[in-house]
Amino acid sequence: MKPEIIFRSFGYLTQAAATTVAVSFAGIVFGFMIGALVCAARVSRRPWRVRLGAVYVSVFRGVPLLVQLLFIYYFLAEYGLDVSAIVAAVGALALSSAAYQAEILRGALNAVPRGQGEAATALGFSGLDIWRRVLLPQALRISTPPLISEFILLIKASSLVSVVGIAELTRVSMNIATQTYRPLEAYVGGGLFYLAINLCLAGLGAFAERRLDEAGAR
Amino acid sequence: MTVDLFWHYAPSLLSGFGVTVLCWGVGGALGLILGFAIALLRRLRIGPLNWLLRAFIELFRGTPFLVQLFLLYAGGPSIGLRLSATAAGILGLALYASAYFAEIFRGGFAAVPSGQIEAAISVGMRPFDIMMRVMLPGALIAVVPAIVNMLIILSKETVVLSIITVPELMYQVQTMAAETFTAFDAIFAMAVFYWLLVELVSRVGAKVESRVTAFLAHDGAAA
Amino acid sequence: MIELAKVKKSFGAHPVLRGVDLAVGRSEVVCLIGPSGSGKSTLLRCVNFLEPYDSGDLRIDGRLIGYEDGPEGTRRRMAARSLREMRREIGMVFQHFNLWPHMTALGNVAEPLRRVRGLTARDAAGRATAMLSRVGLAAKADAYPSRLSGGQQQRVAIARALAMQPRLMLFDEPTSALDPELVGEVLEVMKSLAAEGMTMLVVTHEMGFAAHVADRIAFIDEGRIIDDGPPRRVFHESPEPRVRQFLQTYHDRNSF
Repeated sequence: MKPEIIFRSFGYLTQAAATTVAVSFAGIVFGFMIGALVCAARVSRRPWRVRLGAVYVSVFRGVPLLVQLLFIYYFLAEYGLDVSAIVAAVGALALSSAAYQAEILRGALNAVPRGQGEAATALGFSGLDIWRRVLLPQALRISTPPLISEFILLIKASSLVSVVGIAELTRVSMNIATQTYRPLEAYVGGGLFYLAINLCLAGLGAFAERRLDEAGAR
Repeated sequence: MTVDLFWHYAPSLLSGFGVTVLCWGVGGALGLILGFAIALLRRLRIGPLNWLLRAFIELFRGTPFLVQLFLLYAGGPSIGLRLSATAAGILGLALYASAYFAEIFRGGFAAVPSGQIEAAISVGMRPFDIMMRVMLPGALIAVVPAIVNMLIILSKETVVLSIITVPELMYQVQTMAAETFTAFDAIFAMAVFYWLLVELVSRVGAKVESRVTAFLAHDGAAA
Repeated sequence: MIELAKVKKSFGAHPVLRGVDLAVGRSEVVCLIGPSGSGKSTLLRCVNFLEPYDSGDLRIDGRLIGYEDGPEGTRRRMAARSLREMRREIGMVFQHFNLWPHMTALGNVAEPLRRVRGLTARDAAGRATAMLSRVGLAAKADAYPSRLSGGQQQRVAIARALAMQPRLMLFDEPTSALDPELVGEVLEVMKSLAAEGMTMLVVTHEMGFAAHVADRIAFIDEGRIIDDGPPRRVFHESPEPRVRQFLQTYHDRNSF
């Protein structure tokens, strides 16, 4: 085991780590937007919307991410949209994450005590205002820790986009392995970077939970 | 994608499915055993051992499964570990799963009300008997849903094995797709197949869960 | 039978027992009463070393429990096996029964007999059935705890402790978690045990039971026993103002 390999590739790995974080971040942000829509469908009053939302969640949680990724990639290729692998990558991560985020948001909405909305109605708030000023802020607060967990999961899931050629941590580790003929050091290096990223996120998650506990207890 | 073509590839697809089930079954079983062992060992509270086990768990839960596979398959020879792709796949699944199962069992043990343990202590039971007769049965109720959930996740992770050339279903589908230039159709079929499979397994899993839970809780709900 | 001398215990920086002296003789029934947070339960749990005490002497039949005194005042933790041996002779009944939910009533009573006393399955079942009859629950032998009322569960718990043929029994607020109408059946069993000569140390709020069944009442407040004597004297003629104040509410509502 030659640690120097890791040190010499430090620059590449750092860049790759940045790519991993960027791709995952894009995935979770777009995933949030789509997830919010799916969640809205799930809690809406129209049965067809509810069913659609349920199907979405079922499909995007049931099909493995790798299959989703390749499907989107080939789908785009088939229909001539000559877009880069990055679109397929972020798209797959976003669509997949949206299913999980929809469930997180739905759980958070359910966790907001009923009485809050009722009090607002009794005071004469409009429906929209109840959403914006009472339900949404609380739901967002409750869902922050599980969303940070989801981000950590996404960081790990992003390793799969290496198969479509994105130069993130896993792909770069593979490159280092083939170039230096030292796969052990290459993947240990990559693994360490993933660990570092996830440790930071876990710390952020713990910090957020503490802050939110105080806020909730007020 | 004609029917003839499909029949031509049916054997390899079937074999691929067989490999998937094999990897999932053996990997899952090994992971359960290993995870349980880790959870038990952690209860001994031996400082250095505990530290080591915690590091193991953090490692396998904090890094991507694919990287772990590459490490085992490509990096293994550097430390004298020469595994076939399938063996590496099964070992990878087992180690990955064991870290999650260890945490699941830990949660299960913690969920047993302390009063039941105190009753066993106050009557003079040995730690071994307390574990086998009070703690384990008590923990089982809490862990069944989590174990079923993890096994479902594991079944989806088997597709990642194709990347290190394990000849499971995904690998066979991709081979077929490459040879017949039907990538889109093949992947689509794969997606539908997995969706249906996971739906089915989830429903069966939920039924098994409620049956087992009712049995363990002796609520008579299933009676 | 039980001797406590200057027993002290703190939870971290917070002292709970500040030097307790208490004695329970053979076949004596001593009730421990006092306000919440006074340390009653902690004291009881120290007797079978469920909670370790920090200093002082706690002896069961003359033998120190939890520790072994060495030469020149050194003291070390007692070996686990010796502790288990001592615990076999002490029966404990908990406020929340603590029955094992995955075993029937019979199973709960027989389990310690099999695992700790080493009885065969048949002998254990026989003794367990006898014990369940003793507490009036022979008909419920095959019922699981989830199907039993609180009072029934507590009686099974008493049977479980009794089946081990302990030399003394500890009761930690045995009726506090029960609906009022179920309290009676448990107190009846406890009364019959006392009548048979069982040595009992009972933490309780049931003043009626204490007044009629106890040989002595010990009043504990802020980690110290401040009065200790026959029920008549403690309840009606206690020299301690704190005791009189505590009992005032009971006198107002009942007369015993």
